[in-house]
Amino acid sequence: MAEIKRRTTLQIWGDVIFALFIRELRSKFNDKFGITWALVEPLSFILLLSYGRTLITGGDEVHTMPAFSFMMYGMLLVQLFLNVLAASAAAIKRNKPLYAFRQVQPISAVISATLQEALIKLFVYAAIILFMFFVVIEIRMDNALVLGLVIFLLVLFTASLGLLFGLAELYVEEVQKVRQIITRPIFFISGVFFSLQDMPQEYWPYLNWNPVLHAIELSRQAAYQSFGAKGVDLSFLVFSTLIMLFLALSCYRVFWKGAISR
Amino acid sequence: MISLQGVTKYYPSKLGNQYIFKDLWFDIPEGQNIGLLGSNGAGKSTLFRMLAGSEYPNRGQIQTNLNLSWPVALATGIHPQMSGRENTRFIGRVNGVIDLDSYEQKVRDFSELGKRYDLPVRSYSSGMRARLAFACCISINFDIYLIDEALSVGDPKFKKKARESMIEKSKKANLIMVSHDIDEIRFFCDSAIVIDKGNLDFYNDLEEAISVYQGEHR
Repeated sequence: MAEIKRRTTLQIWGDVIFALFIRELRSKFNDKFGITWALVEPLSFILLLSYGRTLITGGDEVHTMPAFSFMMYGMLLVQLFLNVLAASAAAIKRNKPLYAFRQVQPISAVISATLQEALIKLFVYAAIILFMFFVVIEIRMDNALVLGLVIFLLVLFTASLGLLFGLAELYVEEVQKVRQIITRPIFFISGVFFSLQDMPQEYWPYLNWNPVLHAIELSRQAAYQSFGAKGVDLSFLVFSTLIMLFLALSCYRVFWKGAISR
Repeated sequence: MISLQGVTKYYPSKLGNQYIFKDLWFDIPEGQNIGLLGSNGAGKSTLFRMLAGSEYPNRGQIQTNLNLSWPVALATGIHPQMSGRENTRFIGRVNGVIDLDSYEQKVRDFSELGKRYDLPVRSYSSGMRARLAFACCISINFDIYLIDEALSVGDPKFKKKARESMIEKSKKANLIMVSHDIDEIRFFCDSAIVIDKGNLDFYNDLEEAISVYQGEHR
């Protein structure tokens, strides 16, 4: 009969996250489109929006960036936010039957779902860069480190927010509806279509509380140094991420056992 | 030994918290096949799920150095869109099985699913699902198997096979089982824990426990 090995807690976590990851992958791309859909959907959206943007403001460039790249960073990052949030918040509940295995804990499900969405978007990003190469749009990566950092911070921020929502949804189911309503306007207030510098400065305070906006503008700035992002700040993104992460992990530590025992 | 240290467990409800256990201190001895007896709502399943680590007490803790199985009965964690083989690998990975390939083979042989092992579980009948779940559990070496009406799965032939393998297991490992079927408990267990009003009593003699349990029933 099959022997089991003694594992450290960290090894168990690794094994469980890996097992969940494969399991999710299996059910995620099970329809006829498979993984192509993950690419076609954002790509067609970006093409449409960047065309719309050039119609409105004229010219192929937006603040010295090609309109396509401008739209790509906006779309990809806002989709990254929306998808990771939805996936990580739903993961806790969806995997509830699996907590019958004592090795499987809600946070493993959240980490696995987050990792998955982030990797899918990374794949899409790479594919779009390839697309840009073939249709000869200028590809620039002036500060790749900052770009990576910004994306990492956004993922971490979103996963923490998702963890908080996921926990709350186990206690009060209706929180799910609240989450869906408050994420809807994110697309419009995060500077996907217009940069913050396009807005009159007196409206900035109504927009620049939003870390997703900061992430999008900073990623454009990192890719194209000449973009000249105004009104956004890396340290704001760093601190909102740290605060959200701290809040989420403390709430998780206090509530997770109670949440899955209900 | 599994020791329950100050375990308090309640479920919130409209009538306030419904306490199942209040500050319970108890040691479940090793090396015995134990049946859990108790009337409906006494907390058998709750205790069972807490032992398995599927649920947690509100206060206190449960400590053990033994390897406990998960509650076998339900088709726990079986994903309908994955094949039997993929489900097996998932369970193997989660439980830390060393050799996944040979584990896969054992489950395939035991569950008698044949070629269907590679089809998605949603095409299985409920009996076949239960067979898969039981095979996944029995093919791993645990110190204690938690059996929750699991031996009543499948057709008579599989039932017989499951019983035989369980008896074989109980030579090296132990069982803790919940069942309303007294005959089944007599068959597998040699001692019992009677749960009554949030108290646990261990009886080394199974018959004595059964008479206490049935006595309080009347």
